[in-house]
Amino acid sequence: MTATAKSMADDDLALPPPMPRTPSGIDVPVLATPEMVRNPDPGEPAQFPFTRGIFPDGFRGRLWTFRQYSGFGTAEESNARYRFLLDQGQTGLSVALDLPTQCGYDPDDAMARAEVGKVGVSLSNLSEMEILFDGIDLSKISTSFTINGTAAIIYAMYCACADKQGVPRAKLTGTIQNDILKEYVARGTWIFPVRPSMRLIADTILFSNDATPRFNPISIAGAHVRDAGSTAVEEMAYTLANGFAYVDELLRRGGDATKFAKRLSFFFYVHMDFFEEVAKFRAGRRVWAKILRDRYGVTDDKAMHFRFGVVCGGSSLTASQPYNNIVRVGIETMAAVLGGAQSIFTCAYDEAFQIPTEFSAEIALRTQQIIAYESGISKTVDPLGGSFFVEHLTDRMEDEIVKVMDEIDAYGGVVRAIEDGWLQMRLAERATERRRKIDAVDTVIVGQNAFRRESQTDDFGEVFRLDPQAAAKVIEKFEAIRDRRDNAAVEASLDKLAAAAAKDDENLMPYLIDCCHAYATVGEMVARLKQGWGEFQEPVRL
Amino acid sequence: MSNLKGKRIMIAKPGLDGHDIGAKIIALALRDAGAEVIYTGLRKTPGFIARVAVDEDVDAVGLSLLSGSHKELVAETMRELKALDAGDIPVFVGGTIPVEDRATLIEAGVVGIFTAEMRLDDVVAELARRLSPEQAA
Amino acid sequence: MRPLDRRALGRALSRIANASVAESLAGMQGTSPNAYRIGMTGPPGAGKSTLIGRFARRRLDGGAQVAVVAIDPSSPLTHGAILGDRIRMDHIADNLRLFIRSLASRGANDGLADNIADVLATLDSYPFDEVILETVGVGQAEHAVRSLVDTLVLVLIPESGDQIQAMKAGMLEMADVYVINKADLPGADKIAREIRAVLKLKQRVGASWAPPVIMTGAADANGIAALDEAVSRHQAYLRNSTNTEEVQRRRLEYHLKSLMIRSVAEILARETNSTAESLHAAYARVVESLRKGIGR
Repeated sequence: MTATAKSMADDDLALPPPMPRTPSGIDVPVLATPEMVRNPDPGEPAQFPFTRGIFPDGFRGRLWTFRQYSGFGTAEESNARYRFLLDQGQTGLSVALDLPTQCGYDPDDAMARAEVGKVGVSLSNLSEMEILFDGIDLSKISTSFTINGTAAIIYAMYCACADKQGVPRAKLTGTIQNDILKEYVARGTWIFPVRPSMRLIADTILFSNDATPRFNPISIAGAHVRDAGSTAVEEMAYTLANGFAYVDELLRRGGDATKFAKRLSFFFYVHMDFFEEVAKFRAGRRVWAKILRDRYGVTDDKAMHFRFGVVCGGSSLTASQPYNNIVRVGIETMAAVLGGAQSIFTCAYDEAFQIPTEFSAEIALRTQQIIAYESGISKTVDPLGGSFFVEHLTDRMEDEIVKVMDEIDAYGGVVRAIEDGWLQMRLAERATERRRKIDAVDTVIVGQNAFRRESQTDDFGEVFRLDPQAAAKVIEKFEAIRDRRDNAAVEASLDKLAAAAAKDDENLMPYLIDCCHAYATVGEMVARLKQGWGEFQEPVRL
Repeated sequence: MSNLKGKRIMIAKPGLDGHDIGAKIIALALRDAGAEVIYTGLRKTPGFIARVAVDEDVDAVGLSLLSGSHKELVAETMRELKALDAGDIPVFVGGTIPVEDRATLIEAGVVGIFTAEMRLDDVVAELARRLSPEQAA
Repeated sequence: MRPLDRRALGRALSRIANASVAESLAGMQGTSPNAYRIGMTGPPGAGKSTLIGRFARRRLDGGAQVAVVAIDPSSPLTHGAILGDRIRMDHIADNLRLFIRSLASRGANDGLADNIADVLATLDSYPFDEVILETVGVGQAEHAVRSLVDTLVLVLIPESGDQIQAMKAGMLEMADVYVINKADLPGADKIAREIRAVLKLKQRVGASWAPPVIMTGAADANGIAALDEAVSRHQAYLRNSTNTEEVQRRRLEYHLKSLMIRSVAEILARETNSTAESLHAAYARVVESLRKGIGR
């Protein structure tokens, strides 16, 4: 006992205080003074440029949405988990899908076999979604789907599922991630080339604006770029650049910016540098609103609102000494609240190496509840506003974010940068640099590269195990539905889809919903679209 | 500094997992240690990976897996290599590999398991040791 | 056509690529030119690998057994390399009549790889109809690759205007077929015009081959068909007109040169790595042997 305490103290002495720079490389002053702040008046919340938030009363009227990621194995198992979480006071569901569903392969495809039900639930066709939401009223919950390459199909399936429950589509709330650009850069579940993918995204947003006006048809995500190793500045800059690429595409398709911008939302990671994270969100809100106003002529306040959800944890969590992660997630959650997030997902402390247990998932949710109901930080709007340091850092973050966005523009825009593999290469270089800094202990990660102990792992007791028969059950159900459905109707719906896809200006959503109603599978729909559009060819540059 | 000069090493992403940053970081680290690195890109089947390993006659194959399908995909890749008379090409694994699965992989013949928290220099040194002529003999 | 023993070929190529000069000489066997060789060169970013992938697919569809040798640059500092060309040919890699081999340039600075002549000779002892050689794409690789291939394709993009200017000094007219890739980008017509103008100017009197300039783009199948046709036409042209002795002489000359360059590199490496004596002593000894005259 004493030996442990002593060795830790020695270790402690060996390390100097951290460098006075944020992880993005912004200098931190010894003392922040009023002259360092560009505008002494930080402005009002809910007023342009929204530095202090988009709501006049912050979280007083309504707390953020507590969202936990789950869903694995079969639809039946996930359904049981959802019912448990809703009983525990969770206010939104978050659906994780398995990789075959995300990449557009049916569970019996040779490419899919090893991965069915592994990182999420398999939703190969409408019958699986009916099981997933069995006994859950879709008009009463908000559901977030982490889905991109096949987002239009899963969204179509959700509409079809509502139809089956007798819930009017207009009552649906929730989000599909539907952000394909970052898939090419950091997450890898792309299917089609960039341009037809952009078309599909515009289709979902334009359709959703009318048919499901309370649903967020896109969540433009910086999270994965960040988790892969970008800085906070790059996370925000790449994400905003992607956001404006979608705006351009929607305008090209005849969309009305004032209308569609109200349904664009964002998604980020929160990592450990507390003030940089807070400043990142304050600066991001400002840049988004300014460019929408100045470049796109948007004047409606609500359309300029930068709404975002966050994940606390991700790659800031360690497999070494994993209980430390509980503290990390706590700090990150506070940064998210003070940055003004609309929904928060907290990672379980064991997420770095396994599917969370019920115990670890519960602590993750309790962390949010403690911060919401005990810490008091949600009681007043933007309590850090007006702090010399926070305002100064917000200014500096804004400058750096705009600089990175200008670099992308100078290259020829995000679409070109992605098609050429330029952004991917930049990210790989940055990630390697980050790793080298950790290896050299220039960046300290407690319990991983400093303050280590003999046994770096902790004993967890129960470990969640996937049912080894899960994949077999999914395939069995899949074969059964193919026997049971009206195959002529499936073919007819797929033919219509293919014909519509061949025309540039036809919205594919109604065709996809028809395919779902006919119990066409995700793999079948994707195969038809691939025939016309081809597949993305990865432009690997290292 | 460990040296992998002249070694041909393949870094592959089997299955559908799209998280490639770890694979790319390792590819760059091996290159910087002097290796000639063949990176496959995403979504390759075990059969494809084995064929490329044979055509390119690589000195080692590294598989990066984060989707929890490591047991199936590693075993299948090793089977495919054997079927092509290339069972002697050493296979190493990186990514998210739960502690309790590691013994199984080592028993199956994997020469090393490198997790995200290992120092890059240590990964390079361990590979260099594994690929040195004394080790092979 | 007998099936390839891929494992044996893969290993043979490693052996030959790693061979010292002495080993190369010991292993040299009189293989006669067998496969028809097509070189693809051009600046980095011109899309050579992707173009080769699409071109090779047409050659494979025509029934040919094809080898692709793709060369990427080695870092002069660490000697490391990312061999990233073959990933752009993945869509055809399932074809068992195709064999792709990636090489690092190592010590070579002529756009090719150290032992490339031996590697190509090794491929000649396997049943390939065609070998496609992709150069590094930095520097001016045209000269060296010209000596080793039958048909040379130079791939440019609308953005390589500056390179064209630099090439007018004599490199540009070496190719047999010109490709303007990414022809959907602005400036494609302009660069095509410039090349045609240069070729017209340099057209040798009495030469019966007029190099075509072909436009290709990602979404355009016609361009690839035109390239395929142009290469085949040049192949037929060579069959009727080539002076085989001249081709042999050029290849032998390249082989000799590369053996000598490698010998020099080996001597330098040996002498400067020697710890037994100072670098000055090694220097003096090498200078002495130069005075005597190497190879005389």
